[in-house]
Amino acid sequence: MKKIDLELAVGIFLLIGILSVGYLSVKLGNLDLTGKRGYTILAEFEKAGGIKAGAVVEIAGVEVGSIKNIRLTNNAALVELTLDDNVKIHDDAIASIKTKGLIGEKFIQITPGGSEKILPTGGKIRDTESAVDMEELISKYVFGKV
Amino acid sequence: MKKSKLSLALLALIAGLSLTCSPLSADAGEPTDQIKETVDAVMKILNDKELKRPEKEKERRINLRQTIAKRFDFEEMAKRSLAAHWKDRTPAEQKEFVALYSDLLENTYIRKIERYENEKVVYLDERLDGDYAVVKTKIVDKKGLSIPVDYRVLRKKDKWEVYDIIIEGVSLVNNYRTQFTQIIRSGSYDDLVKRLREKVIK
Repeated sequence: MKKIDLELAVGIFLLIGILSVGYLSVKLGNLDLTGKRGYTILAEFEKAGGIKAGAVVEIAGVEVGSIKNIRLTNNAALVELTLDDNVKIHDDAIASIKTKGLIGEKFIQITPGGSEKILPTGGKIRDTESAVDMEELISKYVFGKV
Repeated sequence: MKKSKLSLALLALIAGLSLTCSPLSADAGEPTDQIKETVDAVMKILNDKELKRPEKEKERRINLRQTIAKRFDFEEMAKRSLAAHWKDRTPAEQKEFVALYSDLLENTYIRKIERYENEKVVYLDERLDGDYAVVKTKIVDKKGLSIPVDYRVLRKKDKWEVYDIIIEGVSLVNNYRTQFTQIIRSGSYDDLVKRLREKVIK
């Protein structure tokens, strides 16, 4: 009787351990098991300029979502953004690829618009600004073009 | 015999293919054509030797402004620049703002355009998306320095009107939208109008 109790306690302890490890890996890996958080919209950029899936989407410096994936469609970068449900984007919003500081990580900044239309799930932000290529700009105006 | 038939068939095929594949310049669409029309008209005014004389300066500027105003939708640009604050304004305020805004653009840009000489405009590409389109161009100056300029246009009946310009990847509307929102947030709409007025008079 006593022996069974001990084995049961060890078993429960182990189970709790496994569950904790599972919770930790999901949490640390930013894994989305339910896939229900937020809604997706699209934005087409001429140049993705080193932005990657998982990068942050900001409005006024506040994180409101992240990049789900980036793919190439008719020679432009089509970026899929997952945004929080309570964030509404007007159809004249402008999405820009920005860099944190001079050489920091890339993120997408949305400047809210003011039109009557709110973008539905799967809607597309039409007006975008691609990443400004600093090196290209500097070399162009410093050295001139041949 | 068989060989010549084959080569004949091949020739016919090539001829057919080349007929269906029209050259790139020919499939420039309506938006590009209309932008080109305006750019050409502006260039014509700029290169007009008669209008270059100092006493004609005013006439030249009026001509330029009229030509540009025909293609640019200043109201749409002003509305997009004010973004969320546009709706809070009365129709009279909106009208006043559009007038101020177009004066601002005129002061900042027409004066720059006036100094242009012998610049060439190259039309690169066009992207259509329903009633919206982007016309990609670049301006090449005498030294060969090229500046990419994209026009974002919107269809109004059968006319395409510019609502944003992207120069070197930076959007004009977004630039003003950020500044205007900041001024309104740290002060009020009246502050913005005051500042615009000062800028326009200058």
